[in-house]
Amino acid sequence: MSEHVRHQHKSGNAPRRLANRLSLHRVIFGAMSDRKIILGVAALLMAAALPRGLAQTVSRPAPTQADWLAVSKLPDFSGVWEIPLGPTRGLTGPQAKLSLTPEYAARKKAREASGVEDDQTANCLPAGMPVIMGWPYPMEFVLAPGKVTILLESFSQIRHIYTDGRPLPTDPDPKFNGTSVGRWDGDTLVAETVGFSPLTELERNVAHSDKMRIIERFRLTDPDTMTIETTLTDPEALTAPFTTTRVLKRHRTWTLAEYVCEENNRNFMDAAGKAGVKLDPRK
Amino acid sequence: MSAIALSLAIAAPAVAHHSFAAFDLTMQKTVAGSVKQVDWTNPHTWIWVNVPNKEGAVEAWGFEGMSPNYLNRRGWTKKTLQPGDEVTVTFRPLKDGSHGGMFVSARRPDGTILTMFGEPTDQTTNR
Repeated sequence: MSEHVRHQHKSGNAPRRLANRLSLHRVIFGAMSDRKIILGVAALLMAAALPRGLAQTVSRPAPTQADWLAVSKLPDFSGVWEIPLGPTRGLTGPQAKLSLTPEYAARKKAREASGVEDDQTANCLPAGMPVIMGWPYPMEFVLAPGKVTILLESFSQIRHIYTDGRPLPTDPDPKFNGTSVGRWDGDTLVAETVGFSPLTELERNVAHSDKMRIIERFRLTDPDTMTIETTLTDPEALTAPFTTTRVLKRHRTWTLAEYVCEENNRNFMDAAGKAGVKLDPRK
Repeated sequence: MSAIALSLAIAAPAVAHHSFAAFDLTMQKTVAGSVKQVDWTNPHTWIWVNVPNKEGAVEAWGFEGMSPNYLNRRGWTKKTLQPGDEVTVTFRPLKDGSHGGMFVSARRPDGTILTMFGEPTDQTTNR
């Protein structure tokens, strides 16, 4: 997986569509070196012929020894980190209150009044951002050239925070975990995430708009303690930015476990929002 | 109500995790029997216990437990409870009255009590 290709699907532009197809071919056939060179050159020529910014390819050359050395000088985020289970789920400091716009406050009220007892995680839908960062299962940070990857044990999710200088997408595909880019500000990883699926919530029973943005600041506050300060903005849902701070503890002896929710899920939420349990011991 | 269950109930509004609405968190019940089956699975372990009913016949009761991921880090293994083990289970009953609930603790005949919470331990084996 050596390239990151971004398309803009607009009708009626054959050269751009052709370039997109060629770039796709690079991804698919990239392992074959002759074809890679030929198609790579063709793609470059096509891309050069196009107006800027319409078909953007981020090339990721193989990391050099110098690149890996640079990673080794970053703060040590490696290993498995736990959010403690408990009333605050690792939240620390005075708790901010969500300040919803009238429209989104009304939607929340209607949702609660409908008698809904649970959320779609009961049916094994991953929680998505930002909520998954508060789930009580560990996460592992992996630092590599050009990105920080967070492996979340909850629903076996992956978040990539690209630190190779690429910009945030201007028209992101909606995703459960959004698309993230970041940079190192001294010892702090500052990540920004956009583009969230409507299947996710900002908080239990609180919807977000497609304009939600999340900024996270990750920092070690002592050798095995990480603080994550998270700020949500959403001009349609929130009247003010909403900031929370979470504390995670590193466990050097832990390994991240698998979590396949569908393995034996006996909880459910039905179409009416009622929570239930399926109680039959399968053999 | 135990401190842990109370904390789980409070946790729901601010941070999402699927709710415990199917269980009555205000009370605890106990049944005694022998372990029939242990589902060492995500998203929850399930402990099935053969419980004699009033007529002397045996019925399987099911108790929802924490994820094995969580339990492996707090002293449990998939063999901690095994079919045939005699246990008295304390649980939060299912609201609809069916035979089961949320596992709170299990007491063995020798008095050992198993709970699913507690401080995390090292996880020195890759399980």
